[in-house]
Amino acid sequence: MSSKITRRQFAASAAAGAAIVAGVAPFNIVRAQPKALKIGSIHPRSGFQAQLGIACQRGIDIAPRVLKQLGMGADVEIMNADTESNVDIARSRAEKLINDGANVLIGAFDSGQSAAIAQVAEQKGVPYIINVAAAPQITEQGYKFVFRNFPTAPMLVGDGLNLMKAVFEKSGITPKTAVFMHVNDTFGQAMAGAIKAMAPRFNLPFQIVETIAYDPQAKDLSVEIAKAKATGAEMVMPVTRLNDAILMVREMVKQRWEPKIVMSPGAPGFYENQFYKTLGKFSNYLITNVPWYNPRSSITQKLLDEFTKSYKNELFELNVGFSFEAVMVAVDAFNRAKSTDGKALADAIRLTKIDNHVMAGGTLQFNEKGQNVNIKSVTLQNLDQRPKVVLPLDIAEDNLLLPMPSWSKR
Amino acid sequence: MISRLIDGVPRRALVLLGLLLAGLLVAPLVVDAYILSILILVLYFAYTGQAWNVMMGFAGQLSLGHSLYVGIAAYTAAALYVHFGIGPWAGVLPAIAISMAAGLVIGFLAFRFGISGVYFALLTIAFAEFTRVGFDHFAWVNGSGGFFLPVTQQAASDPLNLRGSPTMFYYILLAVTVLAFLFCRWLLTGRIGYYWLAIREEPEAAQTLGINVFRYKMIAVAISSGMTALSGVFFAFYYNNLFPEQIFSMSRSIELILGPIIGGVGSLFGPILGAFVLTALAEVVTEIMHALGYEIPGIKQVFYGICLLAVIIYLPHGIWPPLRKRLGLEDRS
Repeated sequence: MSSKITRRQFAASAAAGAAIVAGVAPFNIVRAQPKALKIGSIHPRSGFQAQLGIACQRGIDIAPRVLKQLGMGADVEIMNADTESNVDIARSRAEKLINDGANVLIGAFDSGQSAAIAQVAEQKGVPYIINVAAAPQITEQGYKFVFRNFPTAPMLVGDGLNLMKAVFEKSGITPKTAVFMHVNDTFGQAMAGAIKAMAPRFNLPFQIVETIAYDPQAKDLSVEIAKAKATGAEMVMPVTRLNDAILMVREMVKQRWEPKIVMSPGAPGFYENQFYKTLGKFSNYLITNVPWYNPRSSITQKLLDEFTKSYKNELFELNVGFSFEAVMVAVDAFNRAKSTDGKALADAIRLTKIDNHVMAGGTLQFNEKGQNVNIKSVTLQNLDQRPKVVLPLDIAEDNLLLPMPSWSKR
Repeated sequence: MISRLIDGVPRRALVLLGLLLAGLLVAPLVVDAYILSILILVLYFAYTGQAWNVMMGFAGQLSLGHSLYVGIAAYTAAALYVHFGIGPWAGVLPAIAISMAAGLVIGFLAFRFGISGVYFALLTIAFAEFTRVGFDHFAWVNGSGGFFLPVTQQAASDPLNLRGSPTMFYYILLAVTVLAFLFCRWLLTGRIGYYWLAIREEPEAAQTLGINVFRYKMIAVAISSGMTALSGVFFAFYYNNLFPEQIFSMSRSIELILGPIIGGVGSLFGPILGAFVLTALAEVVTEIMHALGYEIPGIKQVFYGICLLAVIIYLPHGIWPPLRKRLGLEDRS
């Protein structure tokens, strides 16, 4: 038999292939008309960001119940998707959620993934509310359907540095020298870069005498802490993740280094559940300047009650709060728009004005770029082995306690 | 030229290829946006897997750092576009050139000094890693803060600037995947292909027979890195954002080579089949679990693991070689 293929044979096989694909296609385009507001929650729930994505998901899951209690009830259906901590998957999962009828998307904790989802949302005309992601560029693209209820990186650093000055003023302790220690990953580098660029504008009263970067996989920080201790600095400014934050404090205790202040300009680690469980009394008095929930808000109290009921052993923190607020924004817009149409919802979100909400800061509303610029960081101090707001004073839960007591006198 | 490509290929194989190609050509007209996005991923991994296959499958040089070429090319084309307004089709040339240069430097260091096997693999990882660290501090492309391409909302697709709908990206990717397939077939059926196979199987024997092993290994690295560069440019303009931690990561390198490993290293159709199995079937698994009422984050990774395990134990040469035999599609040349 000849191995050559004729044009006719090729055309026949091409037609058959087309017929096969066309034959199965109708199964893919069947879609039901939405009766409730369908919220597509898209977060990294597996992969290296899983822990944080799951925290966001908790805020989303309890939101409909809490909103109902608040009289903001609406028929809401939550549809979940996992980005697998991967930008490629984030994009295709966003397509899937929209395909399955999601009227609003909420996510995605990571800036790269959020940027990929934003493109899909914009193309499809489906509003996308970013709960956590700080890259400023996302809201600089002129999108009409993308909204962010989370501070951008410069907002985070700016607030963090301003609050440092407030802490010095309130405590009456102004360090003259500081050591800046940061984890050497994307986040740590970004924070280091931003601090370096922005610090001169803030007229900080101390001099950074040493900057120490360390590997995110570090299993031991004894050398780094010894180096920091040798500077005799009065303050430590750490930018950490969870594991290295634990290592850092353990090593400070071991080496009996007792700076007057340990204050993070805005990073995770110190306020996480595992940090308290592992370090116990040594977790106390450490400070973090970070966006946080407003403990005086009535909505926060309701959310906290529901969260504690649902997740007894988990810590209520900023990822939960921002994720809840994203659902609140969507439901509020849905109630006003009385429609699940993408444009109607986006127009309604643009007019959002929620005074009483969960996270600290002013009215929850979006500027012309879709960014909420009213979010404010707070100063958290670990007291009684949990994070407590100590500044600003109008929402403080406890008094700021400085200088830190000696490790041996706790 | 065409006869060289199809000589020895059974007619049934050509018919099946025609069917597959026709199916892929009409797919965007009949499938929804989600399935189209999955098909884009499949083609992306098929193409990049094919590029890696040139180096490992044909010439026997194990690279575990192919994310280096994806990343360098992505950043080059994106930076040229953002900073100088140079379009992606013009930018792809320097992107390929720089990636090839990086590949040649690694190749030269390794092959000139007799580094091979796992040590060569370690060298490729090391280059990808220190490039990642370098880009973390490269302010011109915004370092670790991420480099964003401007996204324009336009009614019609603009293929010249790679701005437009997923359908446009799909067809471009389909075209380069088909071209890569044909190019690799052309390479394999020529003298260079036979030299590579000789080098892969027994480098010392190949050297004894007069094959310039160093030269042909370098050619394999250059072609593989150049081809991979194209996928980097595609990545940059499709996703419109680049983070060193993601694009240069070791996990991305592994992701790129899983398809050819599962499909069949060294075979032409292996990377394509592997990409389909891993990407499309993994989605199907997720959907089945979802339909059964189970929502299990990470089920795909479990599926990947099971696939790899099964392939290593039962099909050490990948899925394609035994499947090809069973379907009676073995090359008769």
